[in-house]
Parts: sequence; C-alpha cells; structure tokens
Amino acid sequence: MWTLLAMAWRNVRRNRRRTLITLAAMVVGVGAVIAVRGVLNGLQAGIIRTSAEGQLGALQVHRAGYLDNILSTPLTMDFPVEPALLDRLRDVQGVRAVSPRIQFAGSIAKSVPAEEELPEALFFTALAVDPKTEPAVCPLRKDAYLDGTRFDDAHLVLGSALAESLAAKVDDEVVLLAPDKDGSLNGEVARVGGSMHALLPGEPKVAVVPLALAQRLLRMEGRATELAVAVDDLRDIDAVKPRLAEALGPEWEVHTWLEVVPERQLIMRLQDGVSAIVSVVFLVLMLLGVANTTLMAVLERTREVGTMLSLGLTRAQVMALFLLEALVLGALGATGGLLLASGFVARFAHGGLQFRAPGATQPFDVLPFLTLPFTLVVLAVAVLGSVLFALYPARRASRLRPVEALAGR
Amino acid sequence: MTTLPLTFLALAFGAEPTALDALKAYDALMAPPHFKAVTKMTAHRDDGSTREYRMTVLKGEGDKSRIWFSEPAAVRGQEMLRNGENLWVYMPNLKRALRLASRESFQGGDFNNADIMRADYAADYDATLEVDPSSPDTWLLKLKAKTKDASYDSIKLWVQKAPLGMPVKGEYFTASGKLLRSAKFSEVKDFGHGATRPSLITMRNELATQRFSELVFDSLDVTAPAPDSKFALADLGR
Repeated sequence: MWTLLAMAWRNVRRNRRRTLITLAAMVVGVGAVIAVRGVLNGLQAGIIRTSAEGQLGALQVHRAGYLDNILSTPLTMDFPVEPALLDRLRDVQGVRAVSPRIQFAGSIAKSVPAEEELPEALFFTALAVDPKTEPAVCPLRKDAYLDGTRFDDAHLVLGSALAESLAAKVDDEVVLLAPDKDGSLNGEVARVGGSMHALLPGEPKVAVVPLALAQRLLRMEGRATELAVAVDDLRDIDAVKPRLAEALGPEWEVHTWLEVVPERQLIMRLQDGVSAIVSVVFLVLMLLGVANTTLMAVLERTREVGTMLSLGLTRAQVMALFLLEALVLGALGATGGLLLASGFVARFAHGGLQFRAPGATQPFDVLPFLTLPFTLVVLAVAVLGSVLFALYPARRASRLRPVEALAGR
Repeated sequence: MTTLPLTFLALAFGAEPTALDALKAYDALMAPPHFKAVTKMTAHRDDGSTREYRMTVLKGEGDKSRIWFSEPAAVRGQEMLRNGENLWVYMPNLKRALRLASRESFQGGDFNNADIMRADYAADYDATLEVDPSSPDTWLLKLKAKTKDASYDSIKLWVQKAPLGMPVKGEYFTASGKLLRSAKFSEVKDFGHGATRPSLITMRNELATQRFSELVFDSLDVTAPAPDSKFALADLGR
C-alpha cells in the first residue's frame, strides 16, 4: 500500500504542468466555496446582532394578540409598566434585561416662531424607548446614531430620511401630533437630539422618541405596549422564550426577534440556498477536472499499465494506484483551498469588510468567520469526491488486457 | 348655485336630471352655503368600547369651516379649521395650529377629516348618473376623484329621486377599487328654514368591520352668521 502511495505521489509529479493546472482549479474552487461561506457567516451574524441587540431586542413581550393587530389600533393593547411585572420577567433564567416601549404613528413638523404658520407636517412612525433602560436591552442601538447625538427625556432621534425631509438640525424644536390611545388628537413639543443612519435601503420616515414624551403625547402615562427583553446568550433564545411565556401566562405573547421580522429569516435562508447551489456547482466542476486529469493519465499510460499487469500487479492494485493519484490531487487541492480561504478570512476577521446596502447610509461591518462542520464537509467532498470521480478512469485502467495494453491499444 | 332653481324648474316638468344636477343637489342638502350645527360623533371600536365627541360646526361661504370641540375632556379646547384645501387643528396645550391631511381619520373614528370638514363633491369629483335596478327610488351617482387630494378615489352614492339629492347610502373606495367605508344616511329631520336632511350618518369601517362611527346632528341653523373673520388662522384659540 505504501509502495502504491509512493508511486502515486511520483506519478502526480510526473506531468507537473497538468497537475498544477488541476490543483489551481481545486485551490480556487475549495477556497472560494469556503471563503464565500465565511463572508456569509459574518454577514448573517451581523444581521442577527444588529436586529437582536440594535433594533428589536432578542425577545419581545406584548399583550396576547398584539402582533396580529399591529395594523389597526395597537395602542389599545397596552398595559401598566409595574415593577412587579418587570421583576417577573427579570427572574426568568437567561433573561439579562427588560425595557418598556411603545410603537406608534403620528406626524411631525419643525417648529417656527409662534407668529408664523407651522410648515407641513410629515407622517412618521416612532419607537418610544426609555433612555435609561433601553441601552441594556439594545446596546448597539447607539451605533446607528450620528456623532454628537443626544437621546434623553427631552431629545428625540430622527431617522436620516425624516431628518432630511424635515431639514431639522440638532436642538431644533419639533411639534409632534398623534392620535392618543383613544384616537383623540394630541400634540407635544420636543427637541431634535440628532439623527441616525438607515440600516436598510428605502427606510420609511422613523424616529426614536423618549418614552416619557410618548406617554404624554399618547395620554398613556406609566403604560407601554411592548417589553423588549435581552438574553444572556443569543443562542439560548429559543429556550428562554417558553420560560418567559410560562412565567407570564396566557394573557401575554412572547416572540423572538426572528418571529417579529420573518422576512429577515427568509433573506438568510435564501442566502444559504443560493450559496449552497453555487458551492455544489463549483465543487462538481472542480471534480470533473480531476476525473479528466485521471482519464488523461490512464490513456497516456496504457503501455505502462500493460507492463505493470505483466509484472504481476493485480487489477485491484492498478485501480488503487489511479485512485490514490486522485486522492493525492484532492488532498493537495483541498489543503491549498483551505489555506487560501483561511488567509482571506483571517485578513478581514478583525478589521471587517465594510458593506453598504444601496441607499442605506450606515455601513455594515462584516466580520467573516469559518465554522468547523461546513469546512470539514467541503474538504471531505473535495478529497473523497476526487476519488469518486476517478473511479471510472481507474476502473477502465484495471480492466485493460495486458497484451493489448502493451501494444498501446 | 344660480343653476339650482333652474334645475328644480326642469325637474318639476319631469325632465331627467344630469349627474351634476343630482350631485349639486346633494351638496346643497348636506352642506348649505353657511350654517351652524351642534353635533355628536360616537366612535365604536373593535373591542366594543365607544368614545363620544361633542362639537359645534360653523360653515362659511367658499369651503370654509371650523369646529370647536367640547367633549371629551381630552380634546376640550381643540379646534379644527378648513379653508379651501388647507386643514389645521389647533392644540390648546401648545397654543399652536398644526396641519392635518384630508384623508386622516377624524379623531380616531371612521370618518376622515374631509368627511366632516368638507362636502363639496361637485368640486372634487366627476359624476355619472346610473340607475340601480334594485333601488328604483334612487339614482346611483358614481363619483371619480378629479385630484389626488380628494378624500376618496371613488364613491358610489345612492340619492333619492325626490327630493333630489337626499342621500340614502354611500360606498367609498380606494384607488385599487377596495371598499374602504360604507355610509348610511337616516333619520331625515326638518331643522327649519328649509333645511331638511338626514340627521344621522353611520360610517362603517369595511377594513375593520367591528368599527363604525355615528354622526348625529342635534341642531342645524342655516341663518347663523358665519363671518370670514371666524375662519382666519389667527382666530383659532380665541
């Protein structure tokens, strides 16, 4: 066996140019498949982190039926924010922090001196959060804020699209108008604390508003419609959810961030699907190259095979020789591809690749990383696949008749 | 307005009215040139709860109107003003007037702001007159918005043949033809000085069918003075 392996190694090195071309195809194929997955891993981890720790909270608690009613009158599904309720959530194993919120819609106009007429108001949707407790639930939220942005009980933060439409600057006074919990109009005055980047293109007009201001505007003092929950470890989110639901009872509903924005899960599944298809195509093309190389070798070395068979090598040994040659090629190519992909991923693993969705104003840092299972599967497919794709030419070589083979036929 | 007597004259001789005749008759009934009315709107919500608004409406010549809210406490002191295409709400706590959109819900109910504050359909819509075989006593007016600013994209309005223009029911649609609201006009009442019109309008929300709002006219005085000064932005809150 070792003799055969040594022979295979020598044979692989005999036609260096052909071997190098085949290897190059393998290195690029394996490298690209692993590296693309690495970037995708980073992108998806970014989406998950930004969604769970920068926007939505890992889990959201509402009164039962809230999400189904989000288009009609969600303000009526409110509840008093009592310390006992918050404690009940915090006591659940795996829960790190809780913060009350209100989502509402209204209109906003830049204030002008009293004797002047207010300009046209713009329709906007607002997320009201508590400036004191929200950072514990969504620590990454402030990353979207522009430098120098203030968010406190008197200052709100405008989405970039809204800030642009309003032509509002920091410390400008704005007037908010919204139907309250009962539908009656109410107005409040606030100051612009700054603006925030849009994470995704085509962002509607949005703002982050201090909770106390929203509670006055909506005549909902001490009340909220949502509790955002942070967990100790995002990977445990599906285990924490039923524990929360049990602690709260049937009058409440608990959703993971993925259930709140199912389209993001769809996007990630789509990315996975497309990358899987591309990977398979890459690997098959690469393996066909190995099959081609092995077949060429068999055809070139017909006389040699005849000689080996005449000298007493068994057919199994001949077949094994060609399979081992493919194995050596596969192993070398897979190793090279892994090194190439690792180098690429290591290069950007800390600095990050900056992506910017078209139309979005916030660059998105992608920190690529590799996972062992996927990498092992790709390497195994490359190595074992090489052997598998070499089966036909190897079998063909082993079936040669020594006399005819010696004659080169 | 000057065509109206002619219209009635023509009708007296049994001529069929044009769509515009019927629409102008509707406008004349529902929004006399100027009037003062005391009204009540009750919004019925999905959960069965209701909220009642009491207000005084003053309408002046040339698509001007103003509303003073007195109930509930949350909106006491609020006022609304319409002047042509412009609509404002005055917030007593801010001592400021803010612009409103015609199509926004009127105080969270199922009427929109224009339903309450503007009724000049002849100006906003092109009309065709049809016969609805299932309702021989009425004309079916099909209205199509002239501009995007009209409060609905299209309306089907059933009005009586006699008296011409007296509304019975209405259906209000989005641009895609989706039924948004449906109205029933009932309890026709003589408010004096020739003002006879439905005193109850029930507007049903066809998107959230548990919801509907009722608008009741307690009084309607077509002789009340409505000077232009009452429809100035600066007069709000005074």
